[in-house]
Amino acid sequence: MSALSRSEGLIGIVPILALLLLWQAAVSTGMAPPALLPSPLAVLARFAQNMADPAFLAHAGITLYRLFAGFLIALALGVPLGLLGATNRGVGAVLKPLVRVLAPVPKIALYPALILSLGFGDASKIVLVVADALFPILLATYQGAAMVEPKLVWSARAAGTSRGGTLFKVILPATLPSILTGSRIALVVACIVVFLAEMITSTDGLGYVLVRAVRNFQTVEMFVPLIAISVIGLALNGALALARRRLLAGFPDED
Amino acid sequence: MSGALLRAGGTLKPGLPPVFACLGLLLVWQLYARTLSVGGIPDALSTVRELPTILGDRESLYDILDSLRRMAIGFAIALALSVPLGLLMGRSRLFAALVNPLLMVSYPVPKAALMPIIMLWLGVGDASKLLVIVLGVSLPIIYHAYQGARAVEEKMLWSASAMGMSGPARLARIVLPAALPEILVGCRTGIVLALITMITSEMIARQSGAGNILFSALDMAQYETVYAMILVISALGILLDVAFEYVRGALVGWSEPRHDLAPIPA
Repeated sequence: MSALSRSEGLIGIVPILALLLLWQAAVSTGMAPPALLPSPLAVLARFAQNMADPAFLAHAGITLYRLFAGFLIALALGVPLGLLGATNRGVGAVLKPLVRVLAPVPKIALYPALILSLGFGDASKIVLVVADALFPILLATYQGAAMVEPKLVWSARAAGTSRGGTLFKVILPATLPSILTGSRIALVVACIVVFLAEMITSTDGLGYVLVRAVRNFQTVEMFVPLIAISVIGLALNGALALARRRLLAGFPDED
Repeated sequence: MSGALLRAGGTLKPGLPPVFACLGLLLVWQLYARTLSVGGIPDALSTVRELPTILGDRESLYDILDSLRRMAIGFAIALALSVPLGLLMGRSRLFAALVNPLLMVSYPVPKAALMPIIMLWLGVGDASKLLVIVLGVSLPIIYHAYQGARAVEEKMLWSASAMGMSGPARLARIVLPAALPEILVGCRTGIVLALITMITSEMIARQSGAGNILFSALDMAQYETVYAMILVISALGILLDVAFEYVRGALVGWSEPRHDLAPIPA
């Protein structure tokens, strides 16, 4: 099984390599002028060079800070709200229609309002990340908690566990797989949103690095922040998969 | 009056609580703006009053419709490409192994951020905006079509091939309908992403569209217009979601109802 999945992993490199080769071929044959499309080698070299550049790393650090702050706040809000919404009738009755209305709203459209009330700094960007990352976590938690086998809760209650105790000892662990799935989606969304927000106000962060490159027409520089955010997303995804294996040992892997 | 609002079982009509939620949110906004009276934040009432001027203005209305046209075309193209791709991935392990890593690498890249690069090649017009929307919408639809196709009952496929159905026919007549509920989950995520990419692409290529009105108004400090446009775009998101629910009910009313408030937007 593991040998098979390892060879499958190797197969997956083929299209990525093919794409890079095609890109290089388009540049080498002169089909694409280098001013419009730099060669992938030049982009990779610049990326490696930037990884040692403290200024670039500072921008990446700011992006990471906003991403984590927003994601953690969304987690701290979304999980309790989802659990309460699924287990408490009253909370559910208020929460459901609110989520029904707010979830499909494209949050990026709210960003101008956030800028106007919170300013151009970290606060407005973090709140935007919270607004976007909250709903995947909240919905996944709610769905998971709503599907917990009622017999488990009854048995725990019959065995003398208090109401709060069942919430923490039965419902929360049973909901954990859903929470992790929601977190995974929320992390991807957070990557996308924090980058876009930094492009809009463009004072610092990876999104700003892209906008600066566009203004100065440095095509090689444009690709570097995009690679960086992709690497960040992949790393976070990997870290979450690791946490999942730890927390849910014996549970079937999701992919 | 109350009889019309209540269903036979004494519960509220299903559409009503979200309406109350909208009104409640507007009320909170109104009270917030009134009591704090922070500079630059218009209250809900004056923003709603601003709506007819925007929607009545021929130019801005045309801009908004133009956005919607692009979004619809981009969504349709993405659907036509992603569903077959996802279904193939679900039915062929080799194909899935081939494509999956590429998709994983591209998932966290904000597609709207590709706009400046794509603009270099395709210009500021429709083509680059359409391409960005197609890229943004495709990934969740591919992913969910893949998940849906993977979960198809093998026995149904065996019976079909035993009855002499060819490969493509099996894909179209068995795998597609069986995966449809899951594909629609991806579509709903896709609609939200289409809106996001639409607005951001128009913000970057300031030429036309709802995103252009919104961010140009922000730059020119026309705060009433900013808030009114936020209201318009939010309403678009909610209306598209409601419309989608109707389509889903008509297409896959047979499938098990999911325990959800609304599917997860990614």
